[in-house]
Amino acid sequence: MRNPDQFSSLVWLWVGIAIACSSLKYGFGSFHEPGIGFITFFAGAFLAFLALLLLVTSRREQKMPGRFWNLWTGLDVKKVIYVLVLLALYTFLLRPAGFLVSTFILLSLLFRVKGAHNLATAALLSILVTGVSYFVFEVWLQVQLPKGIVG
Amino acid sequence: MIEISQQILFGLGVAIQPVNLLFCFIGVLIGTLVGVLPGLGPVAAISLLLPATFHAPPVASIIMLSGIYYGAMYGGSTTSVLVNIPGEAASVVTTLDGYQMARKGRAGAALGICAFGSFIAGTLGVVGLAFLAPPMASMALRFGPPEYFSLMILGLTVLTFLAGGSMLKSLMMACLGVFVGNIGFDLVSAQPRFTFGLDILLDGVGLVPVVMGLFGISEVLLNVEESLSRQEVFDTKFERLLPTLQDWRDSIWPMLRGSVLGFFLGILPGGGAIIASFVSYGVEKKISRHPEEFGNGAIAGVAGPESANNAATAGAFIPLFTLGIPSNAVMAILLGALMIYGMPPGPRLITAHPQLFWGTIASMYIGNIMLLVLNLPLIGLWVKMLKIPYPILFPLIILFCLIGAYSLNTNTGEIGLMISFGILGYLMKKFKYDGAPFVLAMVLGPLLDNSLRQSLLMSAGSGMILFTRPICLSIFVFVAAILLIPIFKRQFSAKDPRGSK
Repeated sequence: MRNPDQFSSLVWLWVGIAIACSSLKYGFGSFHEPGIGFITFFAGAFLAFLALLLLVTSRREQKMPGRFWNLWTGLDVKKVIYVLVLLALYTFLLRPAGFLVSTFILLSLLFRVKGAHNLATAALLSILVTGVSYFVFEVWLQVQLPKGIVG
Repeated sequence: MIEISQQILFGLGVAIQPVNLLFCFIGVLIGTLVGVLPGLGPVAAISLLLPATFHAPPVASIIMLSGIYYGAMYGGSTTSVLVNIPGEAASVVTTLDGYQMARKGRAGAALGICAFGSFIAGTLGVVGLAFLAPPMASMALRFGPPEYFSLMILGLTVLTFLAGGSMLKSLMMACLGVFVGNIGFDLVSAQPRFTFGLDILLDGVGLVPVVMGLFGISEVLLNVEESLSRQEVFDTKFERLLPTLQDWRDSIWPMLRGSVLGFFLGILPGGGAIIASFVSYGVEKKISRHPEEFGNGAIAGVAGPESANNAATAGAFIPLFTLGIPSNAVMAILLGALMIYGMPPGPRLITAHPQLFWGTIASMYIGNIMLLVLNLPLIGLWVKMLKIPYPILFPLIILFCLIGAYSLNTNTGEIGLMISFGILGYLMKKFKYDGAPFVLAMVLGPLLDNSLRQSLLMSAGSGMILFTRPICLSIFVFVAAILLIPIFKRQFSAKDPRGSK
């Protein structure tokens, strides 16, 4: 029976132990001459300790949903993954394709995520927003946006 | 007292010079805009404009950069109220009740109280700054690494105590934040630490992508997964633009309490405005006759925190000007700016550069008046944003976040960081972990590391230095009390046969 707190506390327990062990590799030093891993060791160790406390207390908790994946019951998590994939692709394409092209494509797809607009409307909105944001940030605020294939 | 009054008049004389007035107006206007736009914040705006100030007079530049900071506090509440996305990390708390007020058609009242509360708090904060900074500068020379360390531990403890939800989880997030804050080059040994071979992490994890990801992107992701019928425009009518007399009666004491709390908490290193807004919310909820209304549109839950975060911006200038310690990322950039202008902050700034110190203080008062004049008439315009359907609004929010992250260093790695923290923030919200302690601990992490190591070097490895110095000891006693309160409360509740609510 893995309620959300049990699951998350196990994750943080592992993270805390990993931080503490890695900190020792960087060098704990000593109390006379603390090394660069000194404070991160304590951060990791304390995190692991607190995670263990949470694990123990969460085993007693009766009111949480039975499984942690119940947190997504009735929700469209596919859309979240889709948006994240779009953002990741945008990050990779921003420099080679440039701000104008990559932003237009991103917005066209994002405006259709909730299914509220057809392709033509989404494209028109994208052109408008891309143009306005280019003017505001590149021309007015002098942010150096990537030119890519257009520049 | 007379001397300070004379200095204030001197500062007014500096502030009303036409060039300083102009820069003040530009600063508060830009500040309001960046505060309103989720994704862009005063850190990004100040970073962008800093190079442009090198050709301007230093006093005018600092006035403008300061205006961006406290102007952003005004603007940050706008998106918190209207779209449940904090424009600023310090406006996170405002989403709890401000957004609920907007859903009930009281967006105008919420925004109006935010504007008036910010003005009152900002004014009181400036007065406090003028009268407290000079004596604090003389005390500042007694602060050493152990005192700094204890002060930061206090800041973290207060925040975790008053953050919503489980204190255990908040402490865990604080530990994680300390770790993340120490990623990058170690200042003492100049060795990379936990960079995983990534160049983007050599300078550490930036605060701006973290905040935008944790609070902005994560909120968008949470809304995206909800069904369309719950995402349509609110159908509630927009009732009135300004607060009613009853709203004023309900808000005035929270505003005054928030101002005092915020000012003194703003002095604490590490996200003073964030702590201040949380503390104010916690206090108002505890002393309210109707605590059940909090989280459902209680106006005190908006008035107090918004006043607190604005008063904190004034308080935050005290450690910067008197100790040379930045209490948050914005102050860190201002510190850099002052060094570039040849005006290093510290105990001697007030005597060496009085026109800078008193001119900035006086301009903050003028700037608060400008902000009230700017914000009140624009409430109707901001409320119109409610009419923008969410399927159109969320891509705009994402775009602003993307550009904001990229503009920091013109590096797509910052976007990657923001998305990563967006995923983390999304999961944190799902599993009920609070992001504010993480952010504060992240800012304080490097300072904690340095002050602890310096303290141990000073004492030849003895940790007792933290408990034998009077200021440190007093602070740690207070920390212990805060940590033990929940345990005692639970013990007394368990023993009480009537049970507890």
